[in-house]
Amino acid sequence: MLPSGLAEVVADSEDLARFLFHSSAIAAGVVKAAAFLPGKDGETSVFRHGAHPTSSLWKIGRSLAAGDRTLRGAALVTAGAVRRTGLDVEAAEPPPRHAAIRAWPTGEDPELVKGARKERALEMARGAQLLLAQE
Amino acid sequence: MSTDPLRVTADWEGGVLPFRQRSGVSSEALSLELALQRLMAATEGTQAWFGAKAEAIASLRDVEAECADIGWDGADAQPVDNAAARRAEALIRAWPDDVRLPEVAAEPDGAISLDWVRSRHRVFSVSVGPRDRLAYAWIDGADRGHGAVGFDGETAPPRIVDGVRRLFVDRDAPLRAR
Repeated sequence: MLPSGLAEVVADSEDLARFLFHSSAIAAGVVKAAAFLPGKDGETSVFRHGAHPTSSLWKIGRSLAAGDRTLRGAALVTAGAVRRTGLDVEAAEPPPRHAAIRAWPTGEDPELVKGARKERALEMARGAQLLLAQE
Repeated sequence: MSTDPLRVTADWEGGVLPFRQRSGVSSEALSLELALQRLMAATEGTQAWFGAKAEAIASLRDVEAECADIGWDGADAQPVDNAAARRAEALIRAWPDDVRLPEVAAEPDGAISLDWVRSRHRVFSVSVGPRDRLAYAWIDGADRGHGAVGFDGETAPPRIVDGVRRLFVDRDAPLRAR
């Protein structure tokens, strides 16, 4: 059991939230692939949403919105959907409820690697549920 | 032809143009007026596309400004790379006038994402970084794939144009990797 009270292994049925800080991450009510692409560390940072009320999700999101950033919303995707793209999800606390999407494709050709990563991100975006933040 | 004695219409490839017939005006003058109206219609069409491209480029600059600091995604995202933004602008300028323009977003590694979204199941997405090759990926129903293609800064890569065109025009022909 993790300090947050969550299980160490992220279950396939768990909802993962990827916070969105820019309206450009959304097009026609659809989350764009760019929202799921990994950062410099090769991981995509997400939070395990579980059965918590949406208000607790926004509380976490706003705590990440340092400076003049505005929380626009969150993309929800199940851990199972992530794993079906060939990626993995592992708990990565602290902070509480944090998890990381890992095992992104690697290789020697940077553009082909980027394309392969983008294809997986598109798959995740296709199944993602968009939640818009309430002011 | 109009039944209004003061109006004459002429058919042309863009539709029917009405114009007033004035007494004492020669057929040569009417031909000249028709040619002028054709020129104006063509010019307006060009301006409409220039306006759409200008809008896309303005959107690119907004994204560049909004994502200029490290961590703009709430994690460790890199600022938008200036060279990547300029190449994305070049791709928009080079984009064929008869194909839909993309939406713009930033990527965590500082690249620009150009996205054509028909629905959540039909998307073509291009990553523009500072190098002279573009990464792309698509999903089109059950079909999906990715690749990379060179971009000389002047001509939009046919592979990408073709992929976007199929996404919006030809529903029955799934994209195929090359």
